[in-house]
Amino acid sequence: MYPFEGLFSLLVLSLVLETQALTPTHHLTTTDVARLQAVLSQPFTDLKSAYYSVVGLSKLGIFVADADETCRFINSNLDPSSVESLFYAAEASQALSGCEIPVSNDTRDLLLATVSEDSTASQIHQSVSALSALGLPLASQEVVSALKARISKEDNVLAIILALQTASRLSQQAELGEILEEIEDLAARLDDLGGVYLQFEEGLEATALFVSAAYSLSDHVDMEPPLKEDQVIQLVNSIFSKKSWDSLSEAFSVASAAASLSNNRFHVPVIVSAQGPAAVSHSHPFLQLQVTDVLCQPLSSASVLVESASAVASKSAILNQAPFTLRDGVFELNFMASQPASGYYQFSVAITGDSRFVANHVELKVKVSTRVAINNMDLSVVDKDQSIGPKTTRVEYPTKAKASFMADSHQNFAMTFQLVDETTGVELTPHQTFVRLHNQKTGQEVVFVAEPDSKNLYKFELDTAERKTEFDSISGTYALYLMVGDATLENPILWNVADVVLKFLDEEAPGTIQAKTLYVPKPEIQHLFREPEKKPPTVVSNAFTALVLSPFLLLLILWFKLGANISNFTLSPSTILFHIGHAAMLGLMYVYWTHLNMFQTLKYLAIIGSLTFLAGNRMLAQKAVKRLDGK
Amino acid sequence: MSNSVISVISRFLEEYASSTPNKLKVIDAYLLYIMMTGALQFLYCLLVGTFPFNSFLSGFISCVGSFILAVCLRIQINPQNKGEFLSISPERAFADFLFAHTVLHLVVINFIG
Repeated sequence: MYPFEGLFSLLVLSLVLETQALTPTHHLTTTDVARLQAVLSQPFTDLKSAYYSVVGLSKLGIFVADADETCRFINSNLDPSSVESLFYAAEASQALSGCEIPVSNDTRDLLLATVSEDSTASQIHQSVSALSALGLPLASQEVVSALKARISKEDNVLAIILALQTASRLSQQAELGEILEEIEDLAARLDDLGGVYLQFEEGLEATALFVSAAYSLSDHVDMEPPLKEDQVIQLVNSIFSKKSWDSLSEAFSVASAAASLSNNRFHVPVIVSAQGPAAVSHSHPFLQLQVTDVLCQPLSSASVLVESASAVASKSAILNQAPFTLRDGVFELNFMASQPASGYYQFSVAITGDSRFVANHVELKVKVSTRVAINNMDLSVVDKDQSIGPKTTRVEYPTKAKASFMADSHQNFAMTFQLVDETTGVELTPHQTFVRLHNQKTGQEVVFVAEPDSKNLYKFELDTAERKTEFDSISGTYALYLMVGDATLENPILWNVADVVLKFLDEEAPGTIQAKTLYVPKPEIQHLFREPEKKPPTVVSNAFTALVLSPFLLLLILWFKLGANISNFTLSPSTILFHIGHAAMLGLMYVYWTHLNMFQTLKYLAIIGSLTFLAGNRMLAQKAVKRLDGK
Repeated sequence: MSNSVISVISRFLEEYASSTPNKLKVIDAYLLYIMMTGALQFLYCLLVGTFPFNSFLSGFISCVGSFILAVCLRIQINPQNKGEFLSISPERAFADFLFAHTVLHLVVINFIG
């Protein structure tokens, strides 16, 4: 009845969910778990590190060797006036068997007094845990109301996690409903990274502590936490992706998370990994899988089943509902018993046995390897005009043909062979079937591909006349090699089949192969400076200069004829100043052309210009007055 | 036909000689000078070549600019146009003429290279 239910639900799942359910991409291996234990087993220096070590190791199921020594250490380092110290001591002593912490009335009162709205969530957590570890009574309802007040005041992720952890220590009769709802709120605050990871931005420690707190509270109230399967797997990926831990507290949080994920009432993530490469062959016919929880402990109640196995290339199903057998903690299946052809197979594996299993549906790619054998290797030299029948020589692997074959431009050299699976005799078409001809003297080699025909018979033909360019028309003895290789072949082949003597027509003197002249100094580039433009001869320029200046003479003559004069020239200071300034401006123009730049010119122009302007203004005003008077 | 053209031209010259005030004739002579200078520069460019082009442009623009400014001065000074330039006295026109020339020559000298 149980497997039937499981099968039915899996069938429905596989029909409904075309998208694959997530499987963990990161998990702790046995070496990682050992490393975690080693970190937690380091000798402790103070009460806090003693707490992390002792309680962390107890979560991994390991008990400290020297319990008495540790107990004495805890008692001597205990500070009864500090809530934090009491918390560490109480928790650590509870993990050790037979360790007692003396409790006085003052201690108890201190712890009880800390349970109030005025203490931080961390303090409430520590005092409640200490009280419960020391076996002292506490008022659960008071704690609940204090926690609720602190959650609304502090509202950060770590505070809420500590509240969850505290609530799991309280009596089941207390109203833990509201605190239970915080799990869902916190889960909503997780960041989804690429659909693979789910973690708090506060980091790994917060995520791991959240997982351990959520599951301990859920177990305590016996209500399934509101985390979907995919979310659980994403949390597994986040928490177990880091394989070396910065601090003792980080290692402790990972150990708590691992412990709660491997042993809680609702979700147990399953880790499936192939032992060694997922490959089978005639020499290793068993496919071996390790099925463990997150702490690499084998799942005792699991039963592993291959739902379907199909060849990747042909998509034909080989297996259907085949169970694995458990042997020495490893699940194995004799896949070669189903006589699969060599190649890759897609396995769909289901792990049943417990309704808590999460990610219990895994896809695996399995390789089936085989050994190849070469049959019927026939070499022949065929005349092109088919007048002389071919002489076929059969060669057995791995021997070499005794006589060498001679082929010149009138003949073709041909080779046929078959590649079969050694055990089953089925014809194979490996990825690499090359024929390599190697000239011993010149070191030249030419590689051809041998192609199979429709009946999977490999043929290779060498037409000496056609292929002479590949050989550079170099005649001589070539060693013929056959190379066969494939990912699914256990015995790749390099076989010197025979020697072939090739004779080419028009043997060009084989020039020594020109080493590419890449790194030889190149011819120097001469820089060509811009040629100055051709200037006209000086005579022409001078002539035209005179010509252009000649109208000035004409102007003077015309003005003289018109009677332009300077009789109205008043010798007032403004007039003189104006004329001097104007002349200076014209002089400045010349100096600008020869010496200055725009900025300097503007500077001088500003000075001279303003003087000229003032003087000119005055002069023209006087002139205007005179004109108006004269009217 | 050419007769009438000649007669029109001679009539025009007569009118010009008689009715144009002396000041304007002085400016007209100046205009003629500027025009001839510009024309000769252009002739050089056509005959010999445009090297150096910036100098040619500079000189030519100088002539063109001066011509325009002188024409403006002539218009503003002409007593027949007094109605249109009530706020601009001849002295003011001359001062503007000088200022504009300063700017023009600054640009020309910059460009002449």
